Amino acid sequence: MRRLFLLGAAGAALGLLTLVSLEFWPIRPASQDINLTGDAGRGAYLARMSGCIACHTDAENGGAPLAGGLALRTDFGTFYSPNLTTDTDAGIGSWSVSDFAIAVRNGVSPDGKPYYPAFPYPFYRSFSDQDVADLWAAFQTVPPVATPSKPQDLKLPFTFRSGLKIWRAAFLEDQGFTPTEGKSTVWNRGKFIVEGPAHCAACHTPRNFAGARQAELDLHGAGGLPGGEDAPPIFKGELIENGWTLATFKYALRTGVSPSGDVLGGSMGEVIRDGTSFLSDEDLTAISTFLLDEED
Amino acid sequence: MYVRITLAGAALASLTAVSVLAHSGATGIVKERMDGMSAMAKVVKSLSSMMRKEVPFDAEKVRLGAGIIQAHSGDNMLRLFPEGSDGGMSVAKPEIWEDWKKFEGYANDLGLLARGLAAAADNGLAMAGGASNTSTMMGTSSTSMMGTTTAMVPSPDMLAAMPTDGVFNMVAQACAACHTQYRLEKN
Repeated sequence: MRRLFLLGAAGAALGLLTLVSLEFWPIRPASQDINLTGDAGRGAYLARMSGCIACHTDAENGGAPLAGGLALRTDFGTFYSPNLTTDTDAGIGSWSVSDFAIAVRNGVSPDGKPYYPAFPYPFYRSFSDQDVADLWAAFQTVPPVATPSKPQDLKLPFTFRSGLKIWRAAFLEDQGFTPTEGKSTVWNRGKFIVEGPAHCAACHTPRNFAGARQAELDLHGAGGLPGGEDAPPIFKGELIENGWTLATFKYALRTGVSPSGDVLGGSMGEVIRDGTSFLSDEDLTAISTFLLDEED
Repeated sequence: MYVRITLAGAALASLTAVSVLAHSGATGIVKERMDGMSAMAKVVKSLSSMMRKEVPFDAEKVRLGAGIIQAHSGDNMLRLFPEGSDGGMSVAKPEIWEDWKKFEGYANDLGLLARGLAAAADNGLAMAGGASNTSTMMGTSSTSMMGTTTAMVPSPDMLAAMPTDGVFNMVAQACAACHTQYRLEKN
């Protein structure tokens, strides 16, 4: 019995040591002091493309721009998007451009905590320093909102945020954007957008038990999305088989209207309303060219 | 084989919303409103082809189509959504009856915009170009961080003066307003 007790105590001590080590395991990269002049107009466009405005604005409940509070109901609990206005307490008004760069590209908060992947930072790894400067300039134009967003409402054990450091070690790939050789500029622009800011795979790729995307099933559709809906497959074979063309795909991303005359609903309707409908004709062409793998 | 069927089914659903698969089993008032939606989808399909310049512009077709949409909107739509008619084959979400005033507003907005589309039928398409989102209700540009998405419907006079595809896009946004919040999206 005494042996058992000692074993149990040792186990508990080890467990505690692990938890404590996780808390102190440093994940914050070195400062990213970006000195480039940012273009707020270009940054706003990028924010539309990246879904910042869509996710961090509770539009359907009349929320102020970028004030957060949008609920994302998942298997892990309910996430609430944070307040990204210039308010120094409730928002990011006290941040530096380096804080912003590290948050967006590396998914680490100014005080070294990992963000939950509900924030699709892995996709934003491909932002250039200029992209970040432009985004930062745009975010400076957002009027401060002093109301903080709601705290995350997660189930155990996901409330233990440092556990994400293990998730990161297991699933996070440290890759930026690499254009594919032999493909056109338009195609590669589409690749940058789809695999980066537009983060289509965040919904359209199925995930494993730990919530990490299953790379081999990229864009093959996924079920059990927040709200209980499904995202259809959008890889090339599927799109072509269902009769999508460059023209109709672009049109759908701009207006929400599909070739059958239906108007896309659910979260995709929101993506279009708050994001893709703002994109340029060139970028919509690029996205469609990449997904349909068309070449002139 | 089953994976292929599932994928094909999911793709079909993605193309035609849930309409084809769900409609085949629905009855009564659920079927009636699905039929109404299908009638409107047919119009949207036909007119969107015109907006993409795949077929010649035809103002009369626009007027006829707008009339069909108007006929299925407002009270004519609302009476097909009595309390408790969700569940079963229906893809209507219970939020419809929790937010009835909002739902009612959207159904009425659709009617107003359809009327506006008919009035704008002779205006033709806006100038072709890369201008993004110039024909929304919101008045937001792509270079601004601002802009909520709950916008008012412009007055009949304003609608009548807009390019046809501008109003058509607003009609589509009215459809999306309900579909994003009140329709269950399943593959």
